[in-house]
Amino acid sequence: MNSYYAATLLVYAGVDIIACLALNLQFGVSGIVNFSFIVFQAVGAYTAAVLSMPPDTANGGYQTYVGGFQLPFPIPWIGGALAGGLLAIPVGLVVLRKLRSDYQAISLLVLSVIANSVITNVRPFLNGAAGIAQVPGPFADQVNPLTPSYQLLYVGLTVPCVLLVWLVASRIVNSPFGRSLRAMREHELAATAIGKNPVQLKMTIFIVGGVIGGLSGAILVGFIAVVAPSIWLYPETIILFAAVIVGGRGNNVGAILGALLVPVGFEEATRLIPPTIGEWVPPPNLIPAMQWVAIGLLIIGFLWFRPQGVRPETRRVFEGGPE
Amino acid sequence: MSPTMTAAPDKPMLVATDIHRHFEGMRAVDGVSLEVLPGKITGLIGPNGAGKSTFLAVLAGTLPATSGTIVLEGEDISRLPAYQRARRRLVRTFQLPSEFAQLTVLENLLVAAPNNRGDSLFGALMGKRYWVGDEDRLIEEARGLLKRFGMSAKESDYAGTMSGGQKRLIEIMRALMLHPRLLLLDEPMSGVHPKIVEEIQYYLQDLRAGGLTILMVEHELHMVERLCDTVVVMAQGKVIGSGTMSSLRRQQEIVDAYLIG
Repeated sequence: MNSYYAATLLVYAGVDIIACLALNLQFGVSGIVNFSFIVFQAVGAYTAAVLSMPPDTANGGYQTYVGGFQLPFPIPWIGGALAGGLLAIPVGLVVLRKLRSDYQAISLLVLSVIANSVITNVRPFLNGAAGIAQVPGPFADQVNPLTPSYQLLYVGLTVPCVLLVWLVASRIVNSPFGRSLRAMREHELAATAIGKNPVQLKMTIFIVGGVIGGLSGAILVGFIAVVAPSIWLYPETIILFAAVIVGGRGNNVGAILGALLVPVGFEEATRLIPPTIGEWVPPPNLIPAMQWVAIGLLIIGFLWFRPQGVRPETRRVFEGGPE
Repeated sequence: MSPTMTAAPDKPMLVATDIHRHFEGMRAVDGVSLEVLPGKITGLIGPNGAGKSTFLAVLAGTLPATSGTIVLEGEDISRLPAYQRARRRLVRTFQLPSEFAQLTVLENLLVAAPNNRGDSLFGALMGKRYWVGDEDRLIEEARGLLKRFGMSAKESDYAGTMSGGQKRLIEIMRALMLHPRLLLLDEPMSGVHPKIVEEIQYYLQDLRAGGLTILMVEHELHMVERLCDTVVVMAQGKVIGSGTMSSLRRQQEIVDAYLIG
């Protein structure tokens, strides 16, 4: 395994872990079926891109986008995170206040489709379907991004973000606030009847998830140097849901495990499939298509046979209480 | 924890005036007025579809009233959402089990407790040291309730695994964690094993002895007779009588409408 491959794997794992921890807070802990999660990652990615890129007139103006502020690290990452949180405010206010949870899920799915469509078709805004390329990563002007040391540097920048998000997620999940979120997930009306404001709880965790989702997008775009609508189609959210369901809803360790097993593990496992089987050369899109079939089967299989996931939500036994 | 009687004994704790709740023309609650006296158990009885549970939900704010006013100890709470009423310690239970199934029994109690510094995003992010003092105090209080209701051994079990009767008890204990001024019970005995019914009856008497005010919807008339100081009878969305159970039994209209039914 060469260092490029290892770094790619680690950064992808970091991005997926961060995204799954955020989705776990929203879906696993709080019961918000956020089918538009990938949009928040994309907003983070685009924001980080336009904050770190030069104006679109540079490089011969072959791509058009708003902004282009050439701001140094860590501003693009912070900006990406903030943009995710800011987007969560209007979306949450429209979707989470009045709608029943199943309609919330449908609305968020539709939002994901609309957002992708709009960005694809409004080219002057963020360069349409082609997306934005040549996004400079952190310190790319000081360290050559094509060297192993830059790859190592990027891993070194990603790891503290993973740890920070882990700290935030665990503090929330293990606190009385996390308990209120879980109570709301279990029985919203009963939670209201004991003084919980479900709209406030949902909005809070939706914004927190938006911030973390935005951060994951910012980290990703700095590494792969490109963001385009084709990488944030709505099924990408389904992969993250599969990860949280497989790993264990409501359990942060489960979310991490799910991130490693599903988005990272699947991608890696399919690399091991030989390009030809004997004389037979499979059609080129067979493996990606089979991945989707496998993701679908994985979700159904887990919901059917082990809905609590590999690492179920922890039962809290308090000191001095019976086991 | 002991529920406290905060109103003067002669002044009503809660005054509901001319409450209406209509569902697309159907008058589920049709001009109900009612007073609940402090430190007493008031029963609300009536045939199925009389509007009792709807009225209770309107008082608690889980259903908005079409019109009418609700005053809790001098404060008009008619326009407040349910969670605000709960924070003013007007607390309801539900006709159907409403435990937080994937929380343990102890957590079901703790989650209801107000004034925990860790029960906000800021508090959570500050870390355990910031809120552990409140948590320890509330655990002690919740364990006191569990002991009083004979459920200490179950504190670490998921509430969803409890029997119907135990779920009722959890709900009552959960409500008590809010130190209610007025507790609204919606058929606390329904679907409960007779042995637990006796237990619940005992606990309710005990709570009344401690000064707690209760308004209770119940179908089991012997229980209502034993527990309730005043009984209000509803039929077709209206109040058709009130008084002690024995006085109600002497009113022919009420007997015809409900008591022999």
